[in-house]
Amino acid sequence: MFDFRFYEIWREPEYIDRLLHGCLVSIELSTAGGILGMILGLVLVSAQGKSSPKLLSGFAQGYIETVRNTPFIVQLFFVAFGLPQLLHYRWSFEASALLAMTLNFSAYFAEVVRAGISSIPTGQIEAAGSLCLTKRQIFLDIVLPQALCNVYPSLTSQFVFLFLTTGLISEIGVEDLTWAGRFVADRNFRDFEVFIVLTVLYVAIVFGYKAIFNALNRYAFPWRSIR
Amino acid sequence: MFWFCRTAVKGPYRVQKGNDMSETVAAGPAVSIRSMSKWYGDFQVLKNINLTVKFGERVVICGPSGSGKSTLIRCLNRLEVHQDGDIVVNGVELTMDMKKVEAVRREVGMVFQSFNLFPHLTVLQNCVLAQRRALKRSKQEATEVAMRFLTQVRIPEQRDKFPGQLSGGQQQRVAIARALCLEPKIMLFDEPTSALDPEMVNEVLDTMVGMAKTGMTMLCVTHEMGFARQVADRVIFMDAGQIVEQNDPESFFTNPQHERTKAFLGQIL
Amino acid sequence: MSALLEPVFGPFYSNVIGTLVNATQWTIYLSLTAFIGGGLIGLLFTILKISPIGWLRKVATGYIWLFQAIPLLMLLFLIGLGIPSFFHISVAPWVAASVSLTLFTSAYMSEVWRGALESVAKGQWEGGRALGLTFGEILWFIVSPQALRIATPPTVGFMVQVIKGTSMAYIIDYNDLMRWGKKIANSQLDGAEPYIIYPMVALIYFCLCFPLSKWSKSLEKKMATRSR
Ligand SMILES: Nc1ncnc2c1ncn2[C@@H]1O[C@H](COP(=O)(O)OP(=O)(O)OP(=O)(O)O)[C@@H](O)[C@H]1O
Ligand SMILES: [Mg+2]
Repeated sequence: MFDFRFYEIWREPEYIDRLLHGCLVSIELSTAGGILGMILGLVLVSAQGKSSPKLLSGFAQGYIETVRNTPFIVQLFFVAFGLPQLLHYRWSFEASALLAMTLNFSAYFAEVVRAGISSIPTGQIEAAGSLCLTKRQIFLDIVLPQALCNVYPSLTSQFVFLFLTTGLISEIGVEDLTWAGRFVADRNFRDFEVFIVLTVLYVAIVFGYKAIFNALNRYAFPWRSIR
Repeated sequence: MFWFCRTAVKGPYRVQKGNDMSETVAAGPAVSIRSMSKWYGDFQVLKNINLTVKFGERVVICGPSGSGKSTLIRCLNRLEVHQDGDIVVNGVELTMDMKKVEAVRREVGMVFQSFNLFPHLTVLQNCVLAQRRALKRSKQEATEVAMRFLTQVRIPEQRDKFPGQLSGGQQQRVAIARALCLEPKIMLFDEPTSALDPEMVNEVLDTMVGMAKTGMTMLCVTHEMGFARQVADRVIFMDAGQIVEQNDPESFFTNPQHERTKAFLGQIL
Repeated sequence: MSALLEPVFGPFYSNVIGTLVNATQWTIYLSLTAFIGGGLIGLLFTILKISPIGWLRKVATGYIWLFQAIPLLMLLFLIGLGIPSFFHISVAPWVAASVSLTLFTSAYMSEVWRGALESVAKGQWEGGRALGLTFGEILWFIVSPQALRIATPPTVGFMVQVIKGTSMAYIIDYNDLMRWGKKIANSQLDGAEPYIIYPMVALIYFCLCFPLSKWSKSLEKKMATRSR
C-alpha cells in the first residue's frame, strides 16, 4: 500500500537544482522581507508615538489593523496585480512578493513592539528624564532596546509564521520552494513524496532560522540571561 | 483634619530677586518655591507650598504616606508639573519651556526608591550614557568621570556587570554614581533606602553622608532619622499636601511643635 | 440580495458584491469547522500533554510539534493533492481543506491551552492532591476554571488566524471567498480590475476578523486589570 518513490525526485538533477534554487529564493525573499519589514515597522511604531500628530498615528493604526485582519494572499494579489495597474507601472513578481512580505511583516512587527514599549515601567522613563535625556534619546536609548528584548521571542515566532506562509508567493509566479515543488510534482506525478520533501525542507529552514535567532539573541541582548 | 495645617510656613526664607540673572544664579537660593499648588484631577496633592533651600543646605523631608513628599520633590525637576505658583531651581524658573527644564535637569540629580537603573546597560554604561548625550562628553572623558564616581561609591570593580547582577544596595549606589556623573549642583532623593534589605541600608546611607560632606545641596525624602540627625541642616514635616513644620534636626526631634508631628514621630521613633 | 444592492451600487457591482458575500459563507463554514474540530482535537491533545502517563505525553508532544512545524500550505497540498495521487483516491476539496485546517488549528490551540494550564500555579495541583482529588478532578474543578480565563483572549485571537488561514484553501479549489474573488478579478471585465476586487475581498475578510481581534484585545485588557 505504501509505495514511496522518493527516488523519482532525486533521479533528475534538474529537479534537485530547482528545489535548491527554490530554497534560496524563499530564504532570500523572506529574510529581506523580514529586515525591510522591521525598518518599516519601526517607522510605524514611531508614527504612533505620543508626540506624533493624531492623523499620522491614526493612519499607522489603521494600516496595522488592516494588514493584521486580512489574509496575506489577498494582500499579495493586490500588490502583485492591483497596484501595478493602478499606478501604471510594472515590476517583477519577486518585487511584488518582497513588497507584500515587507508590508505584512511591518504591521505585525509594529504591533508586537508597541505592546513591548507600553510594558516598559515608567520609572525607566523618569530616570532617563531626570538624567536630562531628550524624549528622542529616551525612546532610542532606553525604551526601544528593552522593548525589543522583551518581545524578541514573539517577534521571531511571528517571523517564522510569516515564513511558513511565503509558499503563497509561488501563486504569483515567484520561483520559490513551493513553486519548485509544484514544478517537480507536475512532471513526476509524485505529489505526496514531493510535498513531504518540501515540508522537510521548510522545517529545516525554520530550524536554521531559529538557530540564527538564538545566536542573535545572545549577542544582541546580553543582559537577558542574567535576570 | 486639615485645620491646623493652615499655618503656612512664613519663615525667614525669602526669594531673593535680582535683576542681574548671573548674580542670582551664583548668590540666589538653590531652590525656591512660592505658593505652589498641584492637583491630580480634583484632588489637591500640594497646597500652597513655600520653600527655599540655599546652596550647600541639606534638607530632609518626612511625613506620613500619601502626604505629597514624592510629588513635591518630583516637581523640582519637572517629573511632575505644578499648576499654581512658581518653582525656581538654580535661578531657572520651571515652565513649559523644555529648554529650561533641560537646563534644570542638567543641574539636578535624582535618586529613586526603586533604583531605576537601566537593566540593558552595564554599570559603566549606565553612568556614561547621560554624560555622552546631555553633556556631549567624549567617551574617554565620560568613562573617566564615571569611574571616579563609581570609586567614590566604592564599586568600581562592578563596572562591567549588569544591574540585574547586583544587590539592591549596590544598585542604589550605582544609581547615585549615575546621577553624580552629570556633576549636579542639587541632588534629590526619594526614599533611597526604603526598598532595601536592612543590612544594605547603611552602605547607601554612608555614601550619602559622604556626599553631604562634599557640600552638595541635598533634598532627601527619608524616614531614616539617624541620617537626618547626622547630616540635615533642616527637617521638614509634611502632611496632607502641606509643610506643617520645619526646624533644625535637634529641635525638630526633641521639641516638635505640632500635634501631627508629635504623633508622626511617636510612630516612627 | 443583489436586488437590494442594485439601487446603490448599480447592477454590475451589486452582482459582484452578491457573489462575494455569497461565497463568504463557505469561508465561514470552513472556519467554524476548523475551529470546532481543531478545538476538540486540540483539547484532547492538551489533556494528553499534561496527563500523568509518560508515553501519552510524548505522543501529544510529537503531534503538537509536527502540526505546528508543517506549514498550512503544505498540509493543504499533502492532503488535497498528495494523498489523492498517492492512494489513488479522490478527496473532495472541502474535505481536504477541513482536515488540513483542523489539524493546523488543533496543534496551535493545544499549545495555547497547555500554556494556560501550566501558568496556573503548581500549588493548585499540590493542594488538590493533598485533598485526595484525582488527576481528572483537579483538572476539571480546580485548574481548568482558572486556565480558561487566561486562555480565552488568545483563543479568540487565534480565530482570526484560522479565518485568514482558510483563504489558502482556494489553492486546492475550495470555493470560498478568496477563490471567487480571484475568479472575478481575473475575469477581465470592465470594473472588475484586481485593484477594485481585492480591496473588496479584503474588506469582507476584515469585517470577519476585526471584531474578533477587538474582542480578544478587550478580553485581554479586562484580564490585565482584574489580575492587578
Ligand atoms: N499619578 C497620580 N494620580 C493621582 N493621584 C496621585 C498620583 N500620584 C500620587 N497621587 C496621590 O497623591 C498623593 C501624594 O502622593 P505622593 O506619592 O507624593 O506621597 P508620598 O508622600 O510620597 O507617600 P509615600 O511615603 O507613600 O511615598 C497620594 O494621596 C497619592 O494617592
Ligand atoms: Mg513617595
